[in-house]
Amino acid sequence: MTRRRRLAVAAVGLLAAAVAPVAAHGAGLSGAADRSLSVPTWLFLTTGGGVIGASFLLASFVTDRSFIRRVHGWRRGGLRPARAARWLGRAVGLGGLAAVLVAGLVGPREATRNAAVLTVWVGWWSGYTMTTYLVGNSWPAVDPWRTLAAPLPSLDVDYPDRLDAWPSVAALLGLVWLEVVSPVADRPRFLVGVVTAYGVVTLAGAVVFGADVWFRRVDPVARLFRYFGRMAPLHYDDGVRLRLPGVGLDEPRLVTSRAEVAFIVAVLWVTTFDGLVATPLWRDAAVAVVGAGVPPGLLYPAALVAGYAAVCGVYALAVRYSKRAARTYLPADVLARRFAPPLLAIAAGYHLAHFLGYFLELAPALATAAVAPLSPPEPVALVLPGWFGGIELAGVLLGHLLAIWVAHAAAYDVFPGKLQAVRSQYGITVAMVCYTMASLWIVSQPYAVPPYVT
Amino acid sequence: MSGERASAGDRTTAPTGERAAPPPNPPEEPAVCGHCGDRFADDRLLALHRGRAHREALTDAEIEAYREARTEERDDVRLFRVKALGLLLLIYFGFIYVYAFVL
Ligand SMILES: [Zn+2]
Repeated sequence: MTRRRRLAVAAVGLLAAAVAPVAAHGAGLSGAADRSLSVPTWLFLTTGGGVIGASFLLASFVTDRSFIRRVHGWRRGGLRPARAARWLGRAVGLGGLAAVLVAGLVGPREATRNAAVLTVWVGWWSGYTMTTYLVGNSWPAVDPWRTLAAPLPSLDVDYPDRLDAWPSVAALLGLVWLEVVSPVADRPRFLVGVVTAYGVVTLAGAVVFGADVWFRRVDPVARLFRYFGRMAPLHYDDGVRLRLPGVGLDEPRLVTSRAEVAFIVAVLWVTTFDGLVATPLWRDAAVAVVGAGVPPGLLYPAALVAGYAAVCGVYALAVRYSKRAARTYLPADVLARRFAPPLLAIAAGYHLAHFLGYFLELAPALATAAVAPLSPPEPVALVLPGWFGGIELAGVLLGHLLAIWVAHAAAYDVFPGKLQAVRSQYGITVAMVCYTMASLWIVSQPYAVPPYVT
Repeated sequence: MSGERASAGDRTTAPTGERAAPPPNPPEEPAVCGHCGDRFADDRLLALHRGRAHREALTDAEIEAYREARTEERDDVRLFRVKALGLLLLIYFGFIYVYAFVL
């Protein structure tokens, strides 16, 4: 309850901040929130949805095309990274991989003291992933598998074009399934096995199709970090340049095929799925479904795929509605490609909400385990202050706000008519409002251990 | 031709032939751009498209149509802003009211 209230206060604060420029009565609203004892869930969720709807309306006030172009075209810098930086990245990646393999095999078996588990989940999947969307994508330089693949010979088999990005979609869904149902976050030996298997497949793929093709088209992690890097302020364009966060998602040629749209929708869905399976509702539903005779092993993959199909369906519907509302002769596929990248901002916001607290709480444990991987001292966990839930919630909402803005800018770029551009966003905004409410609901739920996993 | 336009930094229009899928609520007769063949639901969108995508190649009549379309659009945008502002205020005070009522 207190957590929910905290979140609601933050949501109201954001709503006030969003609407204050239009009607300067913010004090009255936040005063109302301060008096609150407990905000009912429905109101908390509606407030979040209201923030998204209100920010869409606010964005629609910006109708000056040259202003949007200026904001999105703003760049600074052009620093060429020293050769040493590249070598440093490779050294960090290879060193990290070696540490994971060694500490995973010979380190302590408890997950919270094992340097391999902490490096992969706290250091890499939480902390490092945040840098890819908050700072810039350094993964091509760090990725140890890419470094190892570079000197290998290649058979240069032609990659079948019809496969497109579909293998990376399947691999992403597969990895998330593995993360949810397997002890990959609890048993260091198992983690080493997964990392090794991933490496073997990656190196084999790089040898068969060529490293460049493999990491550009198939490798799901490289693709994920590349896409996240598009929203980061630092990017590489003949030197490292600075831009405003999110504007890179507006590039017309960022997504060029249906498979790449599917990948972005998958990114969005898996971040949600991860949280969904840790809610009491999922627990109850899973117990009921298995009680009705469904094998537990089928439960998670079926829910993962069915949920993914549902999210794809909602996106396709939103795009179709967008085409109708804009009365455009552009095919729905073109619109789907153009309006997909903003969804990455939502996924990143959700990742931040999900993992920032986890990262900060376990960062001290990671540090101590990294210093003495074989016999780490008892882990010290950081205790986060009560207002921290507000920061997590702000992550969800800021991701959506960025998505609204980028989609607005993209619509202005695509459509000749200003109101046509605004109308084209109605369906997508409604979908985002629903998605925000679902996300906030998950964030507000108490943690429940997912059932039927090892 | 489409490559030329793209490299000239104009990101407005899709390549020729891309605007060829009629919307579910199509007009009786689409407005077709004489410069690139793209299709639009009405003459005003076509005029706006021509003004943004083919600025250098416009005839006097097309320039005049572009100007007219922009004026009309400005009026519509103004009306839309009034409506959007009203809706924002409705959302804002709606929430204040609900919060005051619930808490
Ligand atoms: Zn044209």
